[in-house]
Amino acid sequence: MAEFSNYKIALSAIGPLILLAIVIAFLMGPGTNFLEFGLVLPEIHIEQISFVDNEIQVIVRNTGPIDVNIVVADVNDRIQPAAIEPDNHLTKFETALIRIPYDWNEGQPYNIGLTIDDGTRFEKSVDAASLKLEANTELIGYLGLIGFLIGIVPIMIGLLWFSFIQKLGSSKYQFFLAFTVGLLLFLAFDAIEEASEISQRHLSDIFNGQLLIMTVVILSFLILFSIGSSLVKKSQFSKISKPLAISLMIAVGIGFHNFGEGLAVGAAIAFGQVALSTFLIVGFAIHNTTEGFAIAAPMARTKAMILRLVCLGLIAGTPAIFGTWIGGFSYSPFATVVFLSIGAGAIFQVVVSIIQYIREENENTLSNTSIILGIGLGLIVMYLTSILV
Amino acid sequence: MLMILIVVVSVSTLYFVIPAVSDAAVEPKTFLTHTGLAIQTTGDVIDPIGYTGEKLEFDPESYLRDFDYGTVSELKDGTILREFTITARDDQVMEVSPGVFYNVWTFNGSVPGPTIRATEGDLVRVHFSNEGSKSHTMHFHGIHKAEMDGVFENVGPGGKFTYEFLAEPVGLHLYHCHVHPVEEHIAHGLYGAYIIDPKEGRAPADELVFILNGLDTDFDGENNFYGANTVPFYYQHHPIEITTNELIRAYVVNILEFDPVNNFHLHGTLFHHYPAGTDTVPSGFNDMLTMSQGEREILEFEYKYPGLYMFHAHNTEFSEKGWVGSFLAKDSEKNYSDEN
Repeated sequence: MAEFSNYKIALSAIGPLILLAIVIAFLMGPGTNFLEFGLVLPEIHIEQISFVDNEIQVIVRNTGPIDVNIVVADVNDRIQPAAIEPDNHLTKFETALIRIPYDWNEGQPYNIGLTIDDGTRFEKSVDAASLKLEANTELIGYLGLIGFLIGIVPIMIGLLWFSFIQKLGSSKYQFFLAFTVGLLLFLAFDAIEEASEISQRHLSDIFNGQLLIMTVVILSFLILFSIGSSLVKKSQFSKISKPLAISLMIAVGIGFHNFGEGLAVGAAIAFGQVALSTFLIVGFAIHNTTEGFAIAAPMARTKAMILRLVCLGLIAGTPAIFGTWIGGFSYSPFATVVFLSIGAGAIFQVVVSIIQYIREENENTLSNTSIILGIGLGLIVMYLTSILV
Repeated sequence: MLMILIVVVSVSTLYFVIPAVSDAAVEPKTFLTHTGLAIQTTGDVIDPIGYTGEKLEFDPESYLRDFDYGTVSELKDGTILREFTITARDDQVMEVSPGVFYNVWTFNGSVPGPTIRATEGDLVRVHFSNEGSKSHTMHFHGIHKAEMDGVFENVGPGGKFTYEFLAEPVGLHLYHCHVHPVEEHIAHGLYGAYIIDPKEGRAPADELVFILNGLDTDFDGENNFYGANTVPFYYQHHPIEITTNELIRAYVVNILEFDPVNNFHLHGTLFHHYPAGTDTVPSGFNDMLTMSQGEREILEFEYKYPGLYMFHAHNTEFSEKGWVGSFLAKDSEKNYSDEN
């Protein structure tokens, strides 16, 4: 009897899907010409341009609904002979590498155009050409050092506020917890803004960049929220204290965020925006000190355990190193958007945890002047340091 | 549930981040550009400049020296009658540059249309029929009656019209469709050269026709390709064979749309030029010629030394987008058949 009702449930779930499949078959299946009106326009998207010795390399993707052939390559609107690998025929979503032999000049802007078989030209510009980075130990060390400088060092410095926070009275402590919420909220919106900027500049429309960001932010929030609450629940029965669990979740969230930031910094160095990346690095270093503070704050009611703090700092900061490596050697705008969004979702989760923690500390209310002041001041400090980035 | 979510997200991420790989030729080929840079590739070479593949549908090589004198008969009063049959179409899609397919509008199936040639005083009769889906006309430059001007008498789809006029004056003229918007009808290819020879003829020469034109293949009001006789870079990968110390007469017509000025630069020698070919005295001896839209010039020159000589627009944007070619001048003193 139970089995029979299971069948019924399964059928009631699958039934609509079968009907939907029949409708799609009717619309698109062989022999139907129901939807054969209107024009189908091909489209390609230049995803990446890099400059190697005497050669410009272009990665292009077919982002349109039909197959295309790429038939002409040009540099600054002047036709150039080129090679295209694996071949010049691109099926839907397929990518190809175009190699244009070209004696390019360092620091000069370039516009690269590709023409497809129907004569339509697609283009992308580079602000300043610079030699593509090749992986060698020196460069791995250099990028690693930058990741270390923007990730681990400022967070460790920020953690030094631990003993200061520890000495605070209850309402001042709540102020600084609220201050952390302000910092983190800003960080999350900052990440979303950067992700949408990257998706607009580098991702083709078919990826639906804004919706991708929204989806990943919410998914990451939900996943980390369920992990976080089970961690906090466990903390009631184990040695891990609740503040430590919250700090750990903050560290993990910031870790995702720093990975995304590392990708952006690595890419900025790889694409030769040197002045920009020096600026970025200094800005991130100042900006990220506040991240250390955010990790330290919830822990301040527990006993100082230096090893724990260092571990949390490493969890939050080390991803920046991996980020700069990956961003520097194989930049993928898609991956950067995804990781920045994961970071934002993770930070929202952390914000929720801290707010819950403050409410518990503050007899179930948030309408306390020091809390409101703290959040506001956190946002303002972040805004001011963000101007440096 | 969580695991499923994670798997779905990571698989779909990988799908986008890792490029799709298709079957590829593994045999690497070396590929040398005209600037001397060489690279090795396992993929395809896209090179309209050094193109060595099969001939395209339109052959600029045979067009170059192809003159249509019409069907000739003599009227009772002794006047020579030349009858031409010209058909306009606008539905053809032609490979205008290797791999580039463009909707050409044509007179007698090609861009440019046939070079119509008559002698001063002949009666020219053009039986025009429009097999296109839009109205078209033939507007001839030259002296004729208003109703033969091909401007106000639009010939609709399936329509016919007979243009009739005396061939005058001597010179290098032009015909093109004059239906509004004229820019569109010209840019798509409805034009050709119209030559009227003097009764006494011109000095014997190796005669060549160059219609300087462009192709706006993405319809943004700017030319994507430029050329002499349509196919970009054609005479660059197929140099025009001529002979030293032989008079070359080039009929040059500028029918370029969108760009107000075009020009012609010859390497290794200078030419005498005759604007619209109407005068017997050259206007200058030069290696540069600047032409506005619709202007024509007859050029006369010869090469002193054998070798490969370029000719191209000195507006290098045009030349690097196809308006470039070469003359291969062979030594007239030498007997080439001995070499084989």
